Order: sequence, then structure tokens, then C-alpha cells
Amino acid sequence: MSRLIEAQGFTNRVLGWDAWLDVVALADASPEQITVLEESHPKAKESDYYLFLVHQPEILRQRSAAFNAIMYAPGGLPRAERELASTVVSRVNGCVYCASVHAQRFEQLAKRDDVIEQVFNDPATAGTSPREKAIVLASIDLTLMPGQVEPAQLRALREVGLSDDEILDLIHSIAIFAWANRLMLNLGEPVG
Amino acid sequence: MTDTYDLSTDIVDRIAGLTPGSAAYLTRHKRDKVAAATQRSSDALFDPALPDLSLSDRLLVALYACTLSNAPALATHYAERLASINADRAVIDQIAQGSIDAQEPRLRAMLIFTRTLIQSPIDGDKTALEQLPAAGIPTPAVVALAQLIAFLSYQIRLTAGLRALQVLNATEAA
Repeated sequence: MSRLIEAQGFTNRVLGWDAWLDVVALADASPEQITVLEESHPKAKESDYYLFLVHQPEILRQRSAAFNAIMYAPGGLPRAERELASTVVSRVNGCVYCASVHAQRFEQLAKRDDVIEQVFNDPATAGTSPREKAIVLASIDLTLMPGQVEPAQLRALREVGLSDDEILDLIHSIAIFAWANRLMLNLGEPVG
Repeated sequence: MTDTYDLSTDIVDRIAGLTPGSAAYLTRHKRDKVAAATQRSSDALFDPALPDLSLSDRLLVALYACTLSNAPALATHYAERLASINADRAVIDQIAQGSIDAQEPRLRAMLIFTRTLIQSPIDGDKTALEQLPAAGIPTPAVVALAQLIAFLSYQIRLTAGLRALQVLNATEAA
């Protein structure tokens, strides 16, 4: 049983999410829309988020392909560290819903929650090791200042042991949450 | 939809300066599923056949998002695409300068939504979203617009990160 963490308006509780405009009713969905929902997420047919995005099935199909390849592909950056980056980006962007989901995933994969509490309280100082601190800092910088990314910032990741393959996975994990957070924050709101 | 992913027309590679065979290029293309889904997302979002949201309006949204994000290479890319479809040069120039007040109401509503999502996504609320249907944009087109702006936020960070990786590798090889 995981420990409840609530700080600065963020939580690792399970939340729901409601769309602000009309979603596609499952009964009215086309065969293509059903297929894309099934490809996107195991619970997509019960989710306002996916039922709203499936108004544009081909766009959702490609978004889900990118998201799933970034977050779940084997090898490269350990999955817990991808979830940490996602949680940091969501914390910085103020996406309470995404932060709760990906904090839970980090805890499931890493079997600990210490860094999540730090990220919720103050992302700028979060990280339980030099490697974690570097991952957190890169996540903040690429999220807030994409126009000022310097090679030195990536060199700092190499210096704490990340390979270029891992750096690529980190860039992907940060960038895909620039995408995800904006949808979650601007098309509906967390409930529960 | 396109079933093939043509490496030679990959926008992210071109904007990030990843030349085929370079270290950063080889690193990126070990994750080819991501590269392919990124390019196909772009193809879907800029599909000329998408209804209720003209290609020119979508490219103007992209130009504005990249201008606000200090992403000049991507901004130039979208400005060139606008020029290639003969979009109004005065409108392109105004938006490339970050000026949106003179645009017609429907486009202006889209650009205001773009500004919020790009610069301060936390400030978006139900009232802000409802401005789009109120400006005559049906729900499926609202979804396409939101996906477009959110995708651009991703594309801007992906290209910035990859460009830095390319420069880092090129510096070390020299």
C-alpha cells in the first residue's frame, strides 16, 4: 500500500478527469475510433480524455504511438527515471492530474516515493542522488526554457552516467509531457 | 493515412541539423517508432483535408507558437510553408512579429488560445476553451487545434534537445 503524499496542491492519489466540451459517445463511435481507443490505452473507452481526443482518430493514433513508444519501450533510460521526468515536467507545468498518475507509476517501478515528495514540494532542489538531481534539472530547464538549451546541459547528464541513448529517452520523456500536460490542463479538469 | 515513413523528409532531423550517419542521428533512429510517430503526427495535424480548420490557419498557429517559444528554425520552416501555399504575406509578417490583434476574430481566437497553451498552460480554463466554439469552431476542430499546439510544444523541445546533442557530439569529434 503506497503512502499518501500531498504537497503544494499536488497529490499521488488516484484522480479522475472530466472534459469541458462534448466527448464521443461510445455507442456513436466509428469502427476506426474504436480501434484507435483500443490501441491508445487499456481503459480508453471509459476515459473522458480519450473519448474527447478520439474526435480526431488519426491524430490520436499517432499521439498514442509516440507516447507509448517513449514511455514503455525496453532498454535505454530506466522506466522509473522516465516517470520521474514526467512527474517533474507535470509539477512544473502545474498539471495535477498528470503528476498524480506518473508519481504513482514511479512508485510502482522504483518501490520508493522519497523523490516524489521532494518534487511536489520543490522541484528545483529534488533528487536523492547526483544522477536524479541532473535528470530533474534537465526536465525543468527543457520545459521552461526550450529556446536556451545548451550542449553543456547534456554534458552534465553524461557526467552523472547517462549514455546518449538514455539522454535521448530523457529528451523524449520531457517533450512528450509538454504535449500531454497541455491537453490535460486546457481541455478539462481533474476530479475526485 | 501514410503507411510509410520516409526518413528523407523527416522535419525534426532537418530542423535539429541531424545529418544521416552522424552520431546524434544514429542515436535518434534507434528509437525509430518515436521518430515515425512524430513525423506522422505532423502529417496528420497538417493534413490539407482536415475539415473546419484551414491549413493556412494551422500553419499560422504553428508560426506563432514557434515565435513565442524562441524557436527560430522551426518558425522559419512554418513561414516557408505558409509562403508555399500563397498565404497573405502581411499576415505572416505580423504573426512572425508576435502581433495578433489585427487578425479576423476566428483566427484571433485560435491565436489567443495558442498563446495561453504555449506560454502559461496552467492559466487555461473552461471559459478560455469555450471561446473557440463561440468563434464558430466545432468540437472536432477544437480537438485538432489543441493537439496541434500541444504537439508543437513537443516538437519545439525535441528539436532543441536533439540539436544540443548534435552539437555536443560534433564538438567532441572535432
